[in-house]
Amino acid sequence: MGSLPSFDFGNQWADLVGAISLSIADAFAQSVPPCLVGTALFFSCLGGPIATIVAEREQRTLKRLLASPLRGTSYFLGIFLAYGAIGIGQTILVYSIAAFANAEFPEATWLALLIVFLSMSAYVGSGFCIGANLARRTEDVNALIAALGVPLLLLSGAFIPIEFFPKVLRDIAQFNPIYHMIQALSKASILGQNFAEIAPHFWFLVGFAGLMVVGGWLSYRQMLTTQRRR
Amino acid sequence: MLKIENLCKSYGQRVVLQRLTLTISPGEVYGLLGANGAGKTTTINILCHLLRSDSGTVTIHNQPLSEETKSLIGLVSQENLLYGSLTCAENLDFFARLHGLSRLQRRERVQVCLDAVGLSDRARSPAESLSGGMQRRLSIAIALVHHPKLLILDEPTTGLDLEARIEIWRLIRQLQSQGMTILLTTHLLDEAERLCDRLGILKEGCLLVEGSLNQLRQCIQAQEIVIVQTSDEAGAIARAKSLGFLDRRYGDDLAFWLPEALELKEIISKFDGIALESIARQPVRLEHIYNEVLNFK
Repeated sequence: MGSLPSFDFGNQWADLVGAISLSIADAFAQSVPPCLVGTALFFSCLGGPIATIVAEREQRTLKRLLASPLRGTSYFLGIFLAYGAIGIGQTILVYSIAAFANAEFPEATWLALLIVFLSMSAYVGSGFCIGANLARRTEDVNALIAALGVPLLLLSGAFIPIEFFPKVLRDIAQFNPIYHMIQALSKASILGQNFAEIAPHFWFLVGFAGLMVVGGWLSYRQMLTTQRRR
Repeated sequence: MLKIENLCKSYGQRVVLQRLTLTISPGEVYGLLGANGAGKTTTINILCHLLRSDSGTVTIHNQPLSEETKSLIGLVSQENLLYGSLTCAENLDFFARLHGLSRLQRRERVQVCLDAVGLSDRARSPAESLSGGMQRRLSIAIALVHHPKLLILDEPTTGLDLEARIEIWRLIRQLQSQGMTILLTTHLLDEAERLCDRLGILKEGCLLVEGSLNQLRQCIQAQEIVIVQTSDEAGAIARAKSLGFLDRRYGDDLAFWLPEALELKEIISKFDGIALESIARQPVRLEHIYNEVLNFK
């Protein structure tokens, strides 16, 4: 499935359906990374913080929180922890369902967990960036997630393997952090590849997660400054 | 209880507070008045440690302003800052937890505060289901839940109907009688007149005057004010000037300051020959002082 010289979506899709013959266990195993990173964590760890921040800002409860002994840093870390906990819960759920279907995950458990952690951090950090800068009202949340997230998801291989896309889209996908999340998790979790083999995906993910956490923190600080004045 | 000395704050080139100095004694209700943008909310935000001042000192209950002094203050903001989906009791319990109250203390304080604001029967109602007046009372209860030493009420009756406003006034008086120190900001001068022991008027970040209502009356050299309606305003003003009465406008009303209290028939006789349509005497009220201080001082 590696190289596709000419692209004809209809024929390729038919070929894929005809050619793939997976056991239920393998099918579950292979669906774990896109399911977990591409949908579960995306909607909870990205959409969740945006909705929380916007709701807090709309209700103006942030000011009351800041007037209490609660520190701004604690609030930031609290949201990180809360959505991190939800993400861990979803990770356990998705892996458990796969495990009940006898799916096997060779090795590299810690590496897979690290990738999941980085993915969650990247999503929550992005949530802070979007929630603090772009989403002004609750109604904006869905629109922003749809406008920014759905193209990224489609280009990540979460729904359709990107090998089916034309070269230009596959090239663009190299800059898509969700693509790297899925690739890194797939290779570590399903194929059991070691760190050296997934290094390009991993480092891209580290850089993106770092950027988003720092960006999220700065956006959050900026938002607090504005809220404190009101 | 609260001592503010030479407090200054600017946002870039815009000066918001200029050497603000004031003191509030324990158990006192102090009214901070001023137009929008005068610096009232900025002062409150500094007291609540939400903003940092550029210079000046603040001490609350003899402690310099810090993160720790947040626990000494209960803030009721201009809007009802409530979690709408939480019940009244849950809102109170949540904020009590933020202030580090134990489970036992929280249970007791939630009940006491709900009783104090008359919301015991709505303890299990979501905050969003309450009327505007009830939500404001719940906001006051939240501000009181951790036993603050200073209660800050930032325009507590803005947007409320008369009935709800009277209810909040009753609550403030009740807190006052229990010895609570209160800093109140309001645009409603009759509210300030009713509730405050002392008043300060802010303009462009400067405290222009402060004192009790009687002390502030010294700002106006009049024993009484008469409001007149006449088709010959120029004539009435000229006559007033010849009599040594100062003229002022309060909205559409033409008013004259009387340096001494006079009987109505005496006042009418002084305007003999001017076609007066109506004439009314008024005592010097806070609105007159406020108008004078902001526009002529």
